[in-house]
Amino acid sequence: MDITLDEDQAMILRSAQEFAREALTPARIRALEADDNGFDARTWRRMADLGWAGVVFPERYGGTGLGMFELGLIVEALGQGAVPSPLFSTVVEAGLLLLEAGSEAQRAHWLPRIAAGGAILTTALLEPGGALGSAQVRACAQRAGAGFRLSGTKLFVRDAGAAAAIICLARSGAAADDLTWFMIPADAPGLARRRLQAAGGESLWEVTFADVAVPADAVVGAVGAGWPLAERLLLRGAALKAAELVGIGQASLDLTLEYARTRVQFGVPIGSFQGVQHHCTEMYRDLTVCRLLAWQACARLGAGRDGLREAAMAKAKASEAIPALTRTAHQIHGAVAYYRDYPLELYYHRAIAAAAAYGDAGHQRRALAGLMRGDLARFQGEHRHDLPVHQG
Amino acid sequence: MDFDLTPDEAAFRAEVRAFLTRELTPEVWREHRDLGEQGMWTPAFTKAFRRKLGAAGYIGMGWPREYGGGGRSRVYQAIFWDEMEYFRAPGLDRSITYVPNALLALGTEQQKQSLLPRVMRGELSWFVGYSEPEAGSDLAGLKAAAVEDPATGDFIITGQKSFSSDAHMADYGWVAVRTDPAMSRHRGISLFIVDMTLPGVQITKYPTLAGWTHHAVYFDQVRVPRSMMVGELNEGWRVVMGAIDFERAALASYGLVGFQLDRLLAWCGAERADGTRKLDDPLVQDELVRLAIEGEGTRLMTYWLASLHARGLMPQHETSLALLVKRETARRFDVAGLEMLGPFGPLRAGSPWAELEGDVEVEYRDRLYFQFAAGGFDITRNVVAQRGLGLPR
Repeated sequence: MDITLDEDQAMILRSAQEFAREALTPARIRALEADDNGFDARTWRRMADLGWAGVVFPERYGGTGLGMFELGLIVEALGQGAVPSPLFSTVVEAGLLLLEAGSEAQRAHWLPRIAAGGAILTTALLEPGGALGSAQVRACAQRAGAGFRLSGTKLFVRDAGAAAAIICLARSGAAADDLTWFMIPADAPGLARRRLQAAGGESLWEVTFADVAVPADAVVGAVGAGWPLAERLLLRGAALKAAELVGIGQASLDLTLEYARTRVQFGVPIGSFQGVQHHCTEMYRDLTVCRLLAWQACARLGAGRDGLREAAMAKAKASEAIPALTRTAHQIHGAVAYYRDYPLELYYHRAIAAAAAYGDAGHQRRALAGLMRGDLARFQGEHRHDLPVHQG
Repeated sequence: MDFDLTPDEAAFRAEVRAFLTRELTPEVWREHRDLGEQGMWTPAFTKAFRRKLGAAGYIGMGWPREYGGGGRSRVYQAIFWDEMEYFRAPGLDRSITYVPNALLALGTEQQKQSLLPRVMRGELSWFVGYSEPEAGSDLAGLKAAAVEDPATGDFIITGQKSFSSDAHMADYGWVAVRTDPAMSRHRGISLFIVDMTLPGVQITKYPTLAGWTHHAVYFDQVRVPRSMMVGELNEGWRVVMGAIDFERAALASYGLVGFQLDRLLAWCGAERADGTRKLDDPLVQDELVRLAIEGEGTRLMTYWLASLHARGLMPQHETSLALLVKRETARRFDVAGLEMLGPFGPLRAGSPWAELEGDVEVEYRDRLYFQFAAGGFDITRNVVAQRGLGLPR
């Protein structure tokens, strides 16, 4: 047991934080929110040069062979700097899906390109129902000769505008869980993309498929075996969004502490008031708990272990606590941070977007409740006591 | 970064769990449980159990080998504290945690040689004499005084200490007194180890709302040799502050919260008279899940703190933060437990229809002290803001 960063991990976090601090000006970050790509291509290229786009890929695919934990540190730092990037769409979603389930040809083609910063990919999972269950997937792939024809509407697709291809989950048969992932070029006839206006700096899209022809070799993984892959994708997303929320919370707390130390009212810095101090300690308390939970979730998934309990706990806690933290940050700042040129608003919006991604707090608690009723030992975790509860 | 116990740490935890399961049988519980005591066990059993802990090598396992300690990392210490709390075992208090830790860091060589071996054998019980009627959160306002007798070099202590946990069963007091009233508030304080059998020591009782008896200690011209002073004359504030950090680290263990969670899960999962389970109620599920998440945060804080110590990083405000998290979480469990028991919640221990032996109601009352003792919640928030976050005083 050693819940501290080792030297290499501390260095990764430090250098990612330095990068995130100077990568983009606040004005550029705001401008990118209105930009269809949503991220700065040169910055993404620099991140790829630093090895971050391939941090979770093996070396044979151009990666650096580190793991989810290190990726979590990078995501945390980018969240802290409010730096938009296609890391989630391209690496966390599509890249890790291909690494896990793609054919050797798919992996050999795409992973080195992702790692080099040359390819943007994404996945399409959610639909107008908005829920994260297999029953919600209504997009349909009909057999047509050797291949399929795909129709349906997907929502909240990250970076679809910049993506070279979209990996889409669709129903491939009559059985409830007969779902399959299909990789479709973004310029395929019948595929249409529309940007969603959304808070938080991620470029989210509606993608419609109107009888899109899909060849047999576009299947990712096995036909009918798509849902377990989706569950693991969501789990990775949840753990890493929890890490991003930690970065968002850290930035909000840092801005607040700086303001509380320097803003003078009634002749003293407002940070000397106990009311303000208590708020700041509460923010720091929740942030610390969220960070430990996120670290644990990323470490478990990174080690290839079952991490439903840990990821759901991390995401459930961060999805409530960090948006609340940004509201307290605004309360302490008062009117000054209500103006768009004050950086706190970036985090206020990013917090709710990250909280909504890959399963909100309620979704995660529902998953934990299922575990609690169905598999109590797993719910209690590996430190549990196997004896009956001791009663006097 | 490693969230798992090493094989050796896991083996140690299994050993401690086996020890506590063996020692604290249902028969032992029935015989020695005593709700009239702060520790919920009879003083005699608490003292006997502490000797067993000593014999098993569980006291001082993190101390240097030169004083008979086990030289093990703080992670082992945290595991032991964790399990002791989970089993609600007697004897895990200042006597084996922070007083000897402070003595180790700040005591004279002679004090360490004479007292630490006895501490490690589990022979000594201590009370801490900090608080006074007029000096609580503002401890520097303490008035009990010691005057040096120039003829012998002894110090003569006179004054009152209040809220003195377990003073009635203590062999020694760890007592802060004013030794130079002319100096500023934070100076002019010295720390003495006081033999509680000395003439002039008198103990009085106060019943608490929790049902157990608390104590106050009066010193009337109690003569203490200079050799029992800890640290330098008039530099006792530093000793007090150092010891408070040790105290908070020991109190910030996870075990109590883990026990609360398991007990509630078991109770909610059991079939009731009408054939339903509390656990089938979605609102109960949501509350239990929320509690479990807070519990997990508490557990990680405990072991994060131990990891920082094990790395020699000397956490300070982090310790206060971990204690705040632990105690707030434990209180949340107290409240939720009482609510879930519904109409049975207020039934007291001994009532024929009491659920969980009435323990939840006992604990709801008892642990009110979490909100104000050893640094109340609000004072702790100030401490973290000022010492940890750099906000101005």
